[in-house]
Amino acid sequence: MLRHWLVFPALLLTACALPRDPDGTSARIASSHELRVGVTDSPPWVDAKSAEPKGIEPDLVRAFASQTGAKVAWSQGSETQLVKSLHDGELDLVIGGFDKKTQWGSTAGVSQPYAEDADGKKRVMLAVPGENRFILALDKFLTAHMRAASGALA
Amino acid sequence: MRGVPRKPEAEGALGRARRLAWISIVYILSTIAMLFPIMAGSQALKTELSGELLSLIPPSLFLIGDRISRREPTPHYPFGYERGVSAAYIGAATALLLVGVYLLFDGAMKLAKVEHPTIGGFPMFGHTIWTGWLGIAVLLWSGIPAHFLGRAKQKCAQVLFDKTLAADAAINTADWQSAGAAIIGVVGVGFGLWWADSAAAVLISLEIIRSGWSELRSAVGDVMDRRPQTLDERKDDPVPDRLTDFLQRQPWVEDVIVRVRERGRELTAEAHVVPKADQVDVNEISDVGKRACELDPRLADVTIAPVKELPADVARARQPEDA
Repeated sequence: MLRHWLVFPALLLTACALPRDPDGTSARIASSHELRVGVTDSPPWVDAKSAEPKGIEPDLVRAFASQTGAKVAWSQGSETQLVKSLHDGELDLVIGGFDKKTQWGSTAGVSQPYAEDADGKKRVMLAVPGENRFILALDKFLTAHMRAASGALA
Repeated sequence: MRGVPRKPEAEGALGRARRLAWISIVYILSTIAMLFPIMAGSQALKTELSGELLSLIPPSLFLIGDRISRREPTPHYPFGYERGVSAAYIGAATALLLVGVYLLFDGAMKLAKVEHPTIGGFPMFGHTIWTGWLGIAVLLWSGIPAHFLGRAKQKCAQVLFDKTLAADAAINTADWQSAGAAIIGVVGVGFGLWWADSAAAVLISLEIIRSGWSELRSAVGDVMDRRPQTLDERKDDPVPDRLTDFLQRQPWVEDVIVRVRERGRELTAEAHVVPKADQVDVNEISDVGKRACELDPRLADVTIAPVKELPADVARARQPEDA
């Protein structure tokens, strides 16, 4: 009988450890303290003209990185190049004013929206596909931002 | 009542079967509504959703077909409308088969291309939880009640001798298998095994192909007037043999060949009879035909055709073992 009572908390503990990253992205960021982010110019979301990108999305990324104790390593490129690097696991995140119905939905991991435009378009980021622990952490961060923003409006 | 076996419990069973069909439709729609927003990047959930969409067809066809098949015959459709449902089933089963093959290909390609499924967070009640947990909850909802729904349908199908209802019931009863496969796939992804998702999707698509194939075979067999089979389609139905024995026992009968076709829930029989003498009594034929009909509650009509000798094509219908 006692064994049954122990199984349940054990299951809960296992459940909290899920999902895991197939390629260990979260663990790598935690040990290297580096979040590799691709940026492509897309005002007003991303201003990538200077070496240190500016705008809503770079600010969000910096906040997310500091929350996980990491610094951001930026790289610039075209959407196609960046999404390919993302898919090959050379980047962790790509930003560039993508909306939820982006054409990259099948190649990249689409995050939860962090904002909604006046025309109903939902703003998202692209994450390394299938690294679900990392993506869940990002989704939690972005959703919290979204809630705070819509709370501030109301 | 037209189109149901002559049994006291048949009308009750038909009413129950109709209710179960409506419950199925609402239940499947509820599953689809919950599955759609959370399927995310999971191939297993996408395949399960396609399966759910396809499983709307049998209960809908049951409800529509039940209305159409019981219409009275007209000069234009002298045999009535029972076959309409079989015709619709060929289309539905073909769709099931094709979608199954597409999903198999889709899942196999994702495996081959080493695509890692993305299952992230889902905002709910002020929290963001892993979508996989929601997927598992919906899959439990899609698998467990379906099992009991299938068992209830099976009981009605047995009373009504309704093959399409029986096939639908069998699919429902086995639904927990595909739901279980999808759950294993999602849990596998949770443990970082990216391939578990596509592997589960491939298993589910095989299940869709299997049910499409069995439904297609049964529907085509129906339209082609295959020898009637038992409800589970494992054995030949005993009715043709019983009719043959019954007619053979009549003192005026020298030889007989009975051919029986299934028309929805009904059976229609045609008996070519070679009488012992050249003269036959019409009253006798009518009477024997009527009594033959009473051998089985499904027999709607037994036509007795007295002939001098058996036509060659008809003679081929005889089972080899009693030739």
